[in-house]
Amino acid sequence: MPENPYLPKLSKIIEVKQEADGPRAIKTFRTQFVEDGFTHECGQCAMLSVLGKGECMISISSTPLEKEYLQFSILKMGRVTSAIHDMKPGDLLGLRGPYGNSFPLQQWKGKNLIFIGGGIGLAPIWSVLQTARRTRAQYGDITLLYGARTSADIVYKDELQELKKEMTVHLSVDQEEPGWEEFVGFVPVNLLDKKPSPGNAIAITCGPPIMIKFVIANLEALGFKDEQIYTTVENKMKCGIGKCGRCNIGLHYVCKDGPVYSWAELRRMPQEY
Amino acid sequence: MVNLDDLKKEAKRILQDDKVKYVVGYTRSSAGPLASPVFIEDPEKIGELIWDASCVQNLAKFLLDEKRRKGRAKKPDTRPIAIVVKGCDSRSVNVLLQEKYIERKDVFLLGVSCEDLGVVDQKKIAQRFEGKTIQDIKFDLSPELAVTTEDGTVKLPIQEVLADRCLECQANFPVVYDVLLGDKSRKKVDEPFGSLEEIESMAAPQRWEFWQEQLGKCVRCYACRSACPMCYCDECVVDTIAFAVAADTSAEEKAQKIKWIEKSPTKSENFGYHMVRAIHLAGRCIDCGECERVCPVSIPLRHLNKKLEKAAKQLFDYNAGFEPDKPALVSSFRDEDPEDFIR
Amino acid sequence: MDMILQKKSLAPWLERLEGYDIYAPVRQDDIWNYAHVTDGRDIDLGYPNTVQSPKPIIFPQCETILEFSASEDGTPVMREVIPEPNPFVVLGMRPCDARALTLYDKVFGGDIKDPYYWKRREKGILVGLACTVPPSPNCFCPTVDGSPCSTDGLDILLTDLEDRYYVESLTKKGENLLNDAKTLFKAPTAAENKAAARIKSESEKKINRQVRQLAEVPPKLAGMFDASLWDEEAMSCLRCGICTYLCPTCHCFDIADELSSSSPLKGRRIRNWDTCQFPDFTMHSSGHNPRPDKASRLRQRILHKFHYFVVNHEAYQCTGCGRCISLCPVGIDIIEVLDKVRDYA
Repeated sequence: MPENPYLPKLSKIIEVKQEADGPRAIKTFRTQFVEDGFTHECGQCAMLSVLGKGECMISISSTPLEKEYLQFSILKMGRVTSAIHDMKPGDLLGLRGPYGNSFPLQQWKGKNLIFIGGGIGLAPIWSVLQTARRTRAQYGDITLLYGARTSADIVYKDELQELKKEMTVHLSVDQEEPGWEEFVGFVPVNLLDKKPSPGNAIAITCGPPIMIKFVIANLEALGFKDEQIYTTVENKMKCGIGKCGRCNIGLHYVCKDGPVYSWAELRRMPQEY
Repeated sequence: MVNLDDLKKEAKRILQDDKVKYVVGYTRSSAGPLASPVFIEDPEKIGELIWDASCVQNLAKFLLDEKRRKGRAKKPDTRPIAIVVKGCDSRSVNVLLQEKYIERKDVFLLGVSCEDLGVVDQKKIAQRFEGKTIQDIKFDLSPELAVTTEDGTVKLPIQEVLADRCLECQANFPVVYDVLLGDKSRKKVDEPFGSLEEIESMAAPQRWEFWQEQLGKCVRCYACRSACPMCYCDECVVDTIAFAVAADTSAEEKAQKIKWIEKSPTKSENFGYHMVRAIHLAGRCIDCGECERVCPVSIPLRHLNKKLEKAAKQLFDYNAGFEPDKPALVSSFRDEDPEDFIR
Repeated sequence: MDMILQKKSLAPWLERLEGYDIYAPVRQDDIWNYAHVTDGRDIDLGYPNTVQSPKPIIFPQCETILEFSASEDGTPVMREVIPEPNPFVVLGMRPCDARALTLYDKVFGGDIKDPYYWKRREKGILVGLACTVPPSPNCFCPTVDGSPCSTDGLDILLTDLEDRYYVESLTKKGENLLNDAKTLFKAPTAAENKAAARIKSESEKKINRQVRQLAEVPPKLAGMFDASLWDEEAMSCLRCGICTYLCPTCHCFDIADELSSSSPLKGRRIRNWDTCQFPDFTMHSSGHNPRPDKASRLRQRILHKFHYFVVNHEAYQCTGCGRCISLCPVGIDIIEVLDKVRDYA
């Protein structure tokens, strides 16, 4: 009898890091499977299970080249994510996956990669960035444009400082705050300010829906073609395997046929996400 | 007799005079013999309106949609809408007014009297034809109707297939209206709670068995709630974890919302849902009968609400939907209220 | 293999089927619904169609996916609850309801098989009853590539010949069912063959309703996402969910955890029917809802059934049973909507 796709695999939390405090708390969890597990590709997600509370679909933000653990960065939103935030190293999470399609890294060899993230949106594209970093020679220039509401909401603060030594990193916060020396303003505005070149480039973006909308518009203004822009779509999901109907958009089930889409594909789909 | 042409004339007039945004009335339906609600904006389309014993729906329900629509619009069109109301439906409007959910100026009421009849029960008609497929029913021969099956056409008196609630009707013509068509004499009802007799005569263990069986059928489609004009809560007891979420609702608030009733259709949860809904309707339900009519698994829901309606009458001499300016039953206390529970 | 079964031999045949649970339409207060039947004489197949399709037999309204608890040290323990039903026979299925199961097979099969569905599906033997007359004034199966005597999805098809049934076994499972009671069946005469053929060929002509040129609808729908039609059609919708709950092809479900005790942890994860017509179906945890109004939800139902499913599975996600039309409290008529889509300018 083949595996039951609804049965989670137990995974132990080995590390918890508080990325952001306060009402929009974000924590990063690293997990190791107890028995058998699964590997993933960049962009894929997993259903995290807290027995008794429910499940939620979270992007796997670690690179597939990292064999020791899977990483999830989770914004505390509701019932299930609050329960996960209460968990400590040693606690067990259920994981099902990997679900969805992946970023077509093969097609991007030799190209310049421009990552544009907002808030927790950096997590779903982090796996691509880390993969590119570990296989640096295969890609052209790497640029990261990342912003959050305030400096407290910025994720991967330590890693970003490290990244600054290896690639161009432009950070921003939405509004003035004491001690902030970099750009002040929304991410799409910072994008226009820094004007990355579309030549031989791929733009990968993720963030709040409104940010994605303006980033895509501004990328087009900067000369990026639809096929050069990639994003990952968020949707309410339950089964993760394209059967329960909830994440249906157009001809696709986002859990199965997405969540990674080029703007060329996404613009042709019904705009209901 | 309610003259359909008079109804059409009134509806056309208020549309032409720009008094209302649109008229909600009844029209012939391709889906089956019963009428369907119709929304008419263009005065020239007023010919679509009908009025007969197939007009079962309670159009007051659409006042809820209208309010939500206005709530969502940036610059809402605050003109009233017009709805065609029967006696029972008008009582719903009174309850909505009493609870200040809508204002009187939000609705123009085209009242029609059921006179000494009412609306039909489709199941009673089906019973008369023993499972044969009913192909068509003609309602324009009041007080008779004509039913066509593969065996031919048969006429029968509407009185014989009236909905149970019409047999206990307390308002055969609207009690609130802007225009009233038809006869204004009160229909005499010998036994206003006659439908409860059978179930009240059951001993408690029997009644428990009965409800376990009936509520065990529930598939939790919530059609009863969706059809009820009194069920307007944005956050329903059975949906507390889904609704009333704004962008600034904190994660803690969402995490701490209690799931009062589980979604699964087990006996305990089905009981929970129906009993709580009945209690939330106590003193508010006006017995339009829609909940029972729409139920796809034929649960006799009217009995639950009727029992509480009877209690409201017997304990507090209260009839919902007649006096919108008086305080609602469950939100007021009078010195004469029985208080035998206080020792 | 074609045989004849006298109607009075129906109950004896079922009695010979030891080890099978029998589900058949049962009449209660003049409506018919499938029930588990223990006495073959309770079965009366002279019925139009059931109110609820037979889908709950194979895809129940609620089923447990897994049970969980915590061991002494707090480690969560899970136990999958894969159904192990008895072999069962569904007797008297109308061809539209049987075809609907072939559509479920596409959804619950594919690259990842849904074990809960297939465990039930594989144990079922489906005995259909051809529709001599349309069971409902709202039947339209020929429009959606079906027919009142279709054999899609069935193991046996019965055709009513007054006092006997014309029995066609269509699969090995069906044949085995006949072999369990060989003596009750006999070969048909030429007259009986002719009678059955005549009834079948006339049955389709008796269906009154149709959507002409339905094939024009899927490509039309592709460009109708922003059409004003949806607002108009959804005005009277009560978002009650009846259309989808009674539809034999609708398959959306919810997954939820239910606790019987929080400390120590004990409970189950279940799946329930859900519907795209409920307002919170697509609502995110943040409150953002991609389908916030009735128009967008009605649009989803039509687009999914007559466009997305057609592209993905090469079939309409509708078998023309007419239940959604007959039971909609406000008479929203999918045939009318499809006509309007086809003619939309």
